[in-house]
Amino acid sequence: MALTIKQQLSSPGGILKFLVKYNTIFIFILLVIFSALISDVFFTSVNLSNLLKQVSGIGIISIGMLIVILTGGIDLSVGSMVALLAVAFAILVNIFALPLAILMTIAIGFGLGSISGYLVAYQKMAPFVATLALMTIARGLSFIYSKGSPVTFTTVGGKFMSDFANNATLGIPNIAIVFFIIVICTMVMLRYNVFGRLIIAIGSNEEASRLSGIKVNKYKFLVYAISGALAATAAIIVASRTNLGSPNMGMAWELDAIAAVVIGGASLNGGKGTAINTLMGVLILGLIGNILNLLNVPSYPQQVVKGAIIIFAVLLQRFESK
Amino acid sequence: MKNATSRYRLEMSGISKSFGVVSVLKDVNLKVKSGEIHALLGENGAGKSTLIKILSGVHQKDAGKVILDGEEITPKNTHEGQVLGINVVYQELSLVNDLSVAENIYLHKLGASKSWMNWKELIEDAQKLLDSLDFKIDASAKVKDLSIVQKQVVEIAKAISEDTKILVLDEPTTVFDPKDVKKLFQILFRLKEQGISIIYISHHLEEIFKIADTVTVLRDGVDTGSMPISETDKDGVIRLMIGRELKDLYPKRDIKIGEVPIFQVKNLTAKETLVHDVSFIVKPGEVLGIAGLGGSGRTETAKLIFGADKKKSGVLTLEGEVINTNSPVDAAGYQIGFVSEDRKEEGVFLPLSIRRNISVTSFKSISSRLGFINVENEYKKVLGLIEKLNIKTPNSEVNVKNLSGGNQQKVALAKWLSIDSKVIFIDEPTRGVDVGAKIEIYKLINEVAKKGVGVVVISSDMPEIMGISDRILVMHEGTIYGELQKEQFSEENILRYSIGEPLKQNN
Repeated sequence: MALTIKQQLSSPGGILKFLVKYNTIFIFILLVIFSALISDVFFTSVNLSNLLKQVSGIGIISIGMLIVILTGGIDLSVGSMVALLAVAFAILVNIFALPLAILMTIAIGFGLGSISGYLVAYQKMAPFVATLALMTIARGLSFIYSKGSPVTFTTVGGKFMSDFANNATLGIPNIAIVFFIIVICTMVMLRYNVFGRLIIAIGSNEEASRLSGIKVNKYKFLVYAISGALAATAAIIVASRTNLGSPNMGMAWELDAIAAVVIGGASLNGGKGTAINTLMGVLILGLIGNILNLLNVPSYPQQVVKGAIIIFAVLLQRFESK
Repeated sequence: MKNATSRYRLEMSGISKSFGVVSVLKDVNLKVKSGEIHALLGENGAGKSTLIKILSGVHQKDAGKVILDGEEITPKNTHEGQVLGINVVYQELSLVNDLSVAENIYLHKLGASKSWMNWKELIEDAQKLLDSLDFKIDASAKVKDLSIVQKQVVEIAKAISEDTKILVLDEPTTVFDPKDVKKLFQILFRLKEQGISIIYISHHLEEIFKIADTVTVLRDGVDTGSMPISETDKDGVIRLMIGRELKDLYPKRDIKIGEVPIFQVKNLTAKETLVHDVSFIVKPGEVLGIAGLGGSGRTETAKLIFGADKKKSGVLTLEGEVINTNSPVDAAGYQIGFVSEDRKEEGVFLPLSIRRNISVTSFKSISSRLGFINVENEYKKVLGLIEKLNIKTPNSEVNVKNLSGGNQQKVALAKWLSIDSKVIFIDEPTRGVDVGAKIEIYKLINEVAKKGVGVVVISSDMPEIMGISDRILVMHEGTIYGELQKEQFSEENILRYSIGEPLKQNN
């Protein structure tokens, strides 16, 4: 018999390989240490819980972005989808019972994602183009349905959601828990589920996947639909935090989501990337914003620093391939 | 300072190279005269490619000396290598698909010359070069529209220019049919007369003995010496390559071939390719060979049956039932397998591990209804196949891109052997694979046939297809021109059918 898993892990050079393989996590840990050293406020529960609340929305759409990117695609529509679906949820929760409103919002998200999925998988449209179109459509619709101004929650259901979104369980903000559950489910799916395995296979070689008898189109369709459903989930928690749905929500979030996935070491060519590393990417981006705020750095220089960090993080990952 | 007394144009001596802890080359010597065709042989992983990459500047040597025309050279990249007159045609094609043939040929010079393109001159020059090679290729055509043979010719054209001193060809003929190989040899002889030194890497020993003057064999990173080709023979070279006596390249087998066909194709015609009116049967336990020249429609026929190309008409019958294969998904559902000739593009997932490659076709047997994979079963299955196919790897988590060609091919085969196929099409089973791995793959094909599977093997390698098939179909211009029974097997007969000639009567 050949080698067991344990033997594989304790192979020579294992520790160094481990460090290189999980470099995103180490960047994250370094950032945490750095933040704790330069700011007294950083390690307070108020700050940490704020940080988690801030990243949860973008975090959830980043997971959707990850599975799309794993197939070699991209989803530019998610930011606008958050706006449209937040408006939709605010309208629906004021009309229907809460569980129904949640389900309907997620279904709409899934449906809108399906349009991108259909265009990409069955009409062979370039993902960049199809989702760019959806991005414009969703943003336009969000302004149409909200008549240009925020829609406030007015019912008991809305009240319940906003309480949920602003409270914590065991010290962890509820919406962060939702985010973490999604991360864990995605981790399990990518590792142990056929769906996850096949989308990675498709991203690493679509033609070989097709010739292996894999339903390539079906899976490509599904990842965009799921990305839409996750955008709906993000929209619900973001709207609930502020008690309203606004057409201005989620501006340029798709770019942050792509950045998080890329910082997490995923390849835009597809086939490479993990949920845990995307989580790290999300947290790294959030941390940078957080620490710069604590240091009172104004918002424009913040953008410059963010961009520089993205370059640095991706350059670091090149060691991995060497 | 030039050393005019040296007998050699190129002298590589004492070359050593390690990657990390793995020592790939140990004190290797290679001496090539001008106007010589020098064969460099060795099994996959013996260090041939690394040696060539050191010569051309891709890799830097750890120790040793490279002397070209009496002067020591240390090219730091391929551009420096090219300036010195060292041009390499790699096994992997490196053409830009969306550019024209002419642009590809002069790609490495485009940046260096002028700022503005003279299209007319560029295309004329390229056309002249291609015509001199005696292959009909339009210099203004897009590379993506060329056949794989034509692409290879463009690759060779790219490497030939006025200042080429050393031309290295790594497995140039794997995609060629015998007619094209002859043309290539004519080119090589002509280049040789011009004084260019040619280093020729090939697994085809027949070719080596037709064209090479000198042969150097590498084994496990050590050179076993050079000798004039006249002082050795095929068996001698093989002995040096694998370090053991070669009993029989094509394993004997005694399989009972079933009487009732397991698979039948009737009047199959393609919508978009030249394939038309193809009819044949495959019996269980049979190895059916499909021969023919490049471009005769062999691969296209297999892809058509597998549902990867669109059909116009025709009937497929599997175990007596008519089936429809409109997509590879359908075909896989009917337990029809297909191993592509284009291993890297269509066969394996290079960036993924061996385990993830192999299990991609067999999730049904290792996952629950909700799609959760039983990892223990997966490991058991994959490790079993790695052992059975003798895939040389420390473990199942190695990425396939880090394996040698032969081992990659075994992974591509394992993908389809891990499920129970009824019919399996294997396109060029041993392209770019060394002798040792070849024997293992042949054994594997026999084992599969033994289980009652109908195995269809497409191959351009004549000795191979005659060695492993029970029956050979020969294709010509998109349809099956003739069928050869075992007692009729000969290179001549296959070639006659391939070019649309009848067999000789007294044969």
